[in-house]
Amino acid sequence: MIDIGFLEVAIAICLMILAIILARWQRTGTEKELAIGTVRSFVQLVAVGYALEFIFGMENFFAIIGTMVVMMMVGAYTAGKRAVNIKNGSVISFIAIFTGSLVTLGLMLGLGIIKAKAQYMIPLGGMIIGNSMNCSALVMERLYSDISGNKLAIETSLSLGKSWQDASRTYFQRAIKAGMMHMLNFFKTVGLVALPGAMTGMILAGASPLKAVLIQIIVGYMLTAAVTVAGIVAAQLAIRQMFTTHHQLKL
Amino acid sequence: MDGAHVTTPDAILDIKGLNRSVLVKPGAKRIIIDDFNFSFSEGQIYTIVGPSGSGKSSLLRLLNRLDERDDGEIIFQGESIDSIPVQALREKIALVFQMPYVFPGTVESNLLYSRSKKHENERNELIDLLNRVGLDEMYLPRNPENLSLGQQQRVALARSLSMEPEILLLDEPTSALDPGASRTIEELLTNLNQTMNLTLIIVTHNFRQALRLGGISLVLIDGRIIEAGPTKELFENPANEQTRKFIAGELR
Ligand SMILES: Nc1ncnc2c1ncn2[C@@H]1O[C@H](COP(=O)(O)OP(=O)(O)O)[C@@H](O)[C@H]1O
Ligand SMILES: [Mg+2]
Repeated sequence: MIDIGFLEVAIAICLMILAIILARWQRTGTEKELAIGTVRSFVQLVAVGYALEFIFGMENFFAIIGTMVVMMMVGAYTAGKRAVNIKNGSVISFIAIFTGSLVTLGLMLGLGIIKAKAQYMIPLGGMIIGNSMNCSALVMERLYSDISGNKLAIETSLSLGKSWQDASRTYFQRAIKAGMMHMLNFFKTVGLVALPGAMTGMILAGASPLKAVLIQIIVGYMLTAAVTVAGIVAAQLAIRQMFTTHHQLKL
Repeated sequence: MDGAHVTTPDAILDIKGLNRSVLVKPGAKRIIIDDFNFSFSEGQIYTIVGPSGSGKSSLLRLLNRLDERDDGEIIFQGESIDSIPVQALREKIALVFQMPYVFPGTVESNLLYSRSKKHENERNELIDLLNRVGLDEMYLPRNPENLSLGQQQRVALARSLSMEPEILLLDEPTSALDPGASRTIEELLTNLNQTMNLTLIIVTHNFRQALRLGGISLVLIDGRIIEAGPTKELFENPANEQTRKFIAGELR
């Protein structure tokens, strides 16, 4: 690909201006959001770009870890806010995201598939954290709505001598499935309908397609493993808040 | 009734100083069971009668520990319910809800639901359970979700009986049913009490139903027992002003 600088970006912005004019002309009512979105994403991404340049330049392990912890905290806060009905949703999400990241990145590092360099850790960490955040928010939301919507079924089970784990198993499974649906669907369509972002980016940056595919496969498996761990941790912690050790539903 | 407490020799469930409150807002407590004292005898029928919101459901939920009491003692067969594992307690003190919930599957799977331990159930045993609630073996393979509410409530009743409980708690077991189905359930209950010597504690907001069921009634208002005694005498000649108001339909 040709060398990219701010001039090329300015040309790309022309596309957005065109889109905004089109939206206005057709009275879609989205022109204002488009305009704000254009500026906002530009500012956010450029700021992140400079921040990453800075961190990459330091090549300091603690700076990498610090960056990832900050990303996890933002992700956990966002997930916690989405699952409003779950007590300590942000704390739960943090533990879920942290565990998912630790297990997968730790394993990849341990097996020598990646190195503890910002170039690997930050983009992979970002993807893991983003997907784990989504998954744990979805899991907690679904768990709450299913359990609060099925009190009679659950308390009937409990009254028949079942443990809280047995009485809630269906809803636990459904919540995890809801959180992983995105990942599971991704597997079905990957390469056929959509080319994943990481792969597209690598091909654009000049990598050979096959190499891009191999890296994409590794990234895909790693993300799925991380999301699975995060989803299970989020569900386990959230569901424990809804029952007492005496097999009582607390909602 | 409050304060004075007499433990009868054949008490199966002895309740002393039972209290439960809930937090309605942070810092704002609401008392829903207020110093409840009573001794339930084995093999009797009890009805707990009172207007809606008086704490009847809350009381039953404390007895099988679906909810936790704030303080007070609940002694089941001479033992505090705290020293009995909760799951075992719920098999001994079974609760049937107002709205029957049937698990998807068959009537048979519902009857087997509570008994994962003893798996090789005799088919005859299941048929016997169905007969006790006025159904027959034709029902075993049926999907209970397609049954009428009255039939679902009978399946729920049979499912609770499969645990061989000592006490059966029923929370307005007929209020979701039509009058015909209600009478059937009432008759089934008095029958179960007589044939199995099963202790029944039945919640109802309808004192006429209590009269049909007989036994002993407790009138519960605002979480307190205001009057208790043999059902017929109690409702024909209430001593308490509030009981009279309740009978006259002034309390809902
Ligand atoms: N978990 C709870 N949170 C808040 N209030 C409750 C809760 N459970 C019961 N209550 C209140 O306690 C009172 C008694 O309720 P309940 O036991 O359902 O009465 P009943 O069964 O006699 O109609 C009601 O005013 C009800 O609103
Ligand atoms: Mg009630």
